[in-house]
Amino acid sequence: MEIKDITFSYGDKINRLHQISGEIEVGKITTIIGPNGCGKSTLLGVMSSNYLPQQGHVLLDGKKIGDYKPKELARKLAVVHQQNGAPLDMTVERLTAFGRLPHRNMFSSLSDQDEEAIEWALSCTNLQDKRHITLDSLSGGEKQRVWIAMALAQNSQFLFLDEPTTYLDIYYQYEILDLIKRLNLEHGLSIVMVLHDINQAIQYSDTIIVMKDGKLVIKGRPEEVISEQLIADIYGIEVIVKSDVRTGLYIVPIKS
Amino acid sequence: MKKRVFSFMIVTLLLIFVTIYSATTGSIKVSSVELIHGLLTGTNDDVQVIKDLRLPRILISLFAGAALSVSGALLQAVMKNPLADPGIIGVSSGAGFMSILMVTIFPTLFFYMPLFAFLGGAFAFFLVYTFSWKSGLNPLRMILVGVAINAVFSGLSQSFNYRGSYAVTSISAATTSNLSMKTWNDVGVIVIYGSIGLIMAILVYSWCNYLALEDKTARNLGLNVNRARLIISIVAVLLASVATAIAGMFAFVGLLIPHIARLLVGTDHKVLIPFSALTGALLLLIADTLGRTIIAPNEIPASILLAVIGGPFLISLLRKSDRIYGN
Repeated sequence: MEIKDITFSYGDKINRLHQISGEIEVGKITTIIGPNGCGKSTLLGVMSSNYLPQQGHVLLDGKKIGDYKPKELARKLAVVHQQNGAPLDMTVERLTAFGRLPHRNMFSSLSDQDEEAIEWALSCTNLQDKRHITLDSLSGGEKQRVWIAMALAQNSQFLFLDEPTTYLDIYYQYEILDLIKRLNLEHGLSIVMVLHDINQAIQYSDTIIVMKDGKLVIKGRPEEVISEQLIADIYGIEVIVKSDVRTGLYIVPIKS
Repeated sequence: MKKRVFSFMIVTLLLIFVTIYSATTGSIKVSSVELIHGLLTGTNDDVQVIKDLRLPRILISLFAGAALSVSGALLQAVMKNPLADPGIIGVSSGAGFMSILMVTIFPTLFFYMPLFAFLGGAFAFFLVYTFSWKSGLNPLRMILVGVAINAVFSGLSQSFNYRGSYAVTSISAATTSNLSMKTWNDVGVIVIYGSIGLIMAILVYSWCNYLALEDKTARNLGLNVNRARLIISIVAVLLASVATAIAGMFAFVGLLIPHIARLLVGTDHKVLIPFSALTGALLLLIADTLGRTIIAPNEIPASILLAVIGGPFLISLLRKSDRIYGN
């Protein structure tokens, strides 16, 4: 996937994204980080065709994503949004089956292929035993896994996640991140996600994209990108970057 | 699952029972055996009167009730708001106003009244939708805008009552909301347009289900969200307009019924739409039958009975509206 010279604003004069270019590698985990309001979720929105950029375009398999039909795009790219709502009496299995929408006609019933994809999505997210449970009796972490299962049922090459760990406690945060890592390693999904926690971004990403004020500051492997100077420039806080055999690279803020 | 089957059975049985009761009770009383025998042979004078006066009324109540409650269920799906109801947000009064206006100007086009009603209903819905859209549909803003639109169109319609033309007021169901004096021609119109609308409503059930997700989520699943919204809205307006043109204005049916239906059979529109149709038909028929029997020989219009039940219900829904579609 290629991002070419994207400029975007929400109709006001401020450019939320300013001339962003870059390539998203297939089969890798790419994480976008940056301070609040830097445009990271907006960039994800443009890349998933939810927002139309004023300038530039995003290419997927050599074709502009704006030129894809909605279902055609949904077969290549699935998105787990930060905010999700569904009727509370919806069961896990029914919601997961929604992910088959791009593979179905309006009136067709579920094919064997659909059933298989739903089964696979439920097993990846470890929800087989909960398939008949309704959403209102799931924990926060389980709910997030259902939304991931729905996206997985789309059988797409790309999986986008907008702050998938927000609202979760640390146990569930790592459960979700491990799931994402597993999907990438075992099933070869190309992941693009937005994260707030820099240490999690370092731990789980192949590539980090750092943004500030709607501009792409730097893109590269975590070790190349993350430095004390960068964090000071981007977030305005002083940190120490350390490395440990067991943890790898990590940052710790210091009190001023 | 059991609850669903049970609910369907109860409502179907009640519907059959109330239909028979309604057909045999009133100023002329016959037994159900006499009724069926009379209908088949055409020899019983009482039954002929019932056939001419009471049966059209029953059929129209059934179809209008079904159409209005399904219209409500569809509008609620489109607007993601359990408070949407064609009567409350002005679709019905828009439809009523347009049909009375056109019939006044072109009295010969009486047959096309449902079409004019549809145009008026669509216009009212368009106004409510555009004025209440402000980076998303806020439920309360929508109700407020709807009340205003409703007031304007109701007022315009009522102005015809004071024009002194008896012909207009008697010709238009929309101003009187009275189910008496219905003919088999009226039945024909509501059965044809109503059936088309109800079948289309059942066909779009999956879109209604997807729209319960966030718009972004539905779009990334490959749903053409705007097109789905537009088509569902057209079906909803069609149903409400036909009911209004033939039967009159009934507020709250589209609000009460889908709400009760959701409690009984859940939020899946595959079940919710047919169940709302059956229950809506039942409610309107009960209201009309009660209205013409409790203080016979006088009548209380069904619309008034429904408004009296519906008002308090709307208040209780408003007070807990955030819980219905909440996360």
